[in-house]
Amino acid sequence: MEIIPFWGCMIPLKYPQMESAVRFATEKLGIHLIEDQRFSCCPDPIYFKAGDEIKWYTIAARNIALAEEKGLDLMTMCSGCTSTLCEVNYHLKHDLKLCSMVNKALEKIGLSYRGSINVRHIVTVLRDDIGLERIRQSIINPLHDLKVAIHYGCHLLKPSAIMQVEDPLYPKILYDLFQAMGATPVNHYEYLMCCGKAAQNPQISLDMSHAVFQSITDSGADCLGLICPTCFDSFDLGQIRVSRQFNKQFAIPVVYYFQLLALAQGASLQTVGLKYHKIMPENFMEQLKHHLNATFV
Amino acid sequence: MKKVNYEFREKLNSVLGGFSHNYCFQCGACVADCPAHRFMDAFNPRNIMLQALYGLEEDLIGPETLIWNCTNCYNCYERCPQDVHPIEVIIALKNMAREKGVRPQAVDSILERVRKTGQTVLATDLIKRRREELNLPEFKPALQNDLEILLSK
Repeated sequence: MEIIPFWGCMIPLKYPQMESAVRFATEKLGIHLIEDQRFSCCPDPIYFKAGDEIKWYTIAARNIALAEEKGLDLMTMCSGCTSTLCEVNYHLKHDLKLCSMVNKALEKIGLSYRGSINVRHIVTVLRDDIGLERIRQSIINPLHDLKVAIHYGCHLLKPSAIMQVEDPLYPKILYDLFQAMGATPVNHYEYLMCCGKAAQNPQISLDMSHAVFQSITDSGADCLGLICPTCFDSFDLGQIRVSRQFNKQFAIPVVYYFQLLALAQGASLQTVGLKYHKIMPENFMEQLKHHLNATFV
Repeated sequence: MKKVNYEFREKLNSVLGGFSHNYCFQCGACVADCPAHRFMDAFNPRNIMLQALYGLEEDLIGPETLIWNCTNCYNCYERCPQDVHPIEVIIALKNMAREKGVRPQAVDSILERVRKTGQTVLATDLIKRRREELNLPEFKPALQNDLEILLSK
């Protein structure tokens, strides 16, 4: 299948190892990426939307309009980009007054928003277009016994009326996708928690992350698996701050879904770039190497 | 004594996402599921909707405002039986606050960065090296001219 990747800025410019893993995994799954170099920031659904909401609609509509020229859906890899582009796409399709205001601005750069495509987070493309069976078939190093605590994050699922992924109280999508690579998803009591990145008071985000780390530690999981670079920010780098403040020694490796998927599909450790993570305990690396070497025994 | 400020309410009604505060019947469903409230008692979406209904401008967008502690999780949007969409009202209030100069510095710097570079995150030499190590194509920024035109006043 063909789809246009929307890389955003956090993944390519802060965590390029995520981009590398997505490129590897999508190739294995027969997803053909039709690149477009003209995209800007989505723009960011927290600060940009809070600063100038009308301009937020306009810049996002520009990105969607560029994809519309190619007549293909947009695929997002970051929950922030997903939030912005899905919400804007939804509201512009439903609010004609807003849509004509935005189109008037886009006229100045020779573009127009028509509302002819969908914006989809990559995990929904995997679930709905590729299917779990095809993912299973692409696995050569099944990550059996790897216990993954899932963190959904907020913007893949909510607002559910707009995102249309599934019930945000009982999500299953990541559970199924981690299982498809042979891993064992582990339940933990804070798995629907927000990462807290957007709150102005840093104590709120530290407290939220702390709740998540404690929950995952109690669950006995080997790692935290997620799909959003902003959550990754809170949980990888943020883990050092939380440990310091709460006088605890959290050492939970945080991995982006596609890093594990690519490894299971035969990618090298170099390709998925786990060495760039702040928290990457030796014993977790050993556990992964054990899985990767198992095939060659 | 605080007085109802109709003028402020009118203004909020006209801002994108601001009108729906009128539907709030103060049930508090949003509060129970608000992660910011869980860790900061004073941040209370029900209370923010009540202040909006009274038009309490100073509490909502004055220098002591708490609205910037919303974590944008959308739980209140899911919970609300009245479709108030408290988070969208809060974002409307944030837009009004910024106009008065009440905002975290990050808001202005992100708007400015997108206007100038097209991105929120800027490429550092370290990341450029990492992209090379990972055999990734060079990252090209967006067409700057477009953004200048769309983001000028």
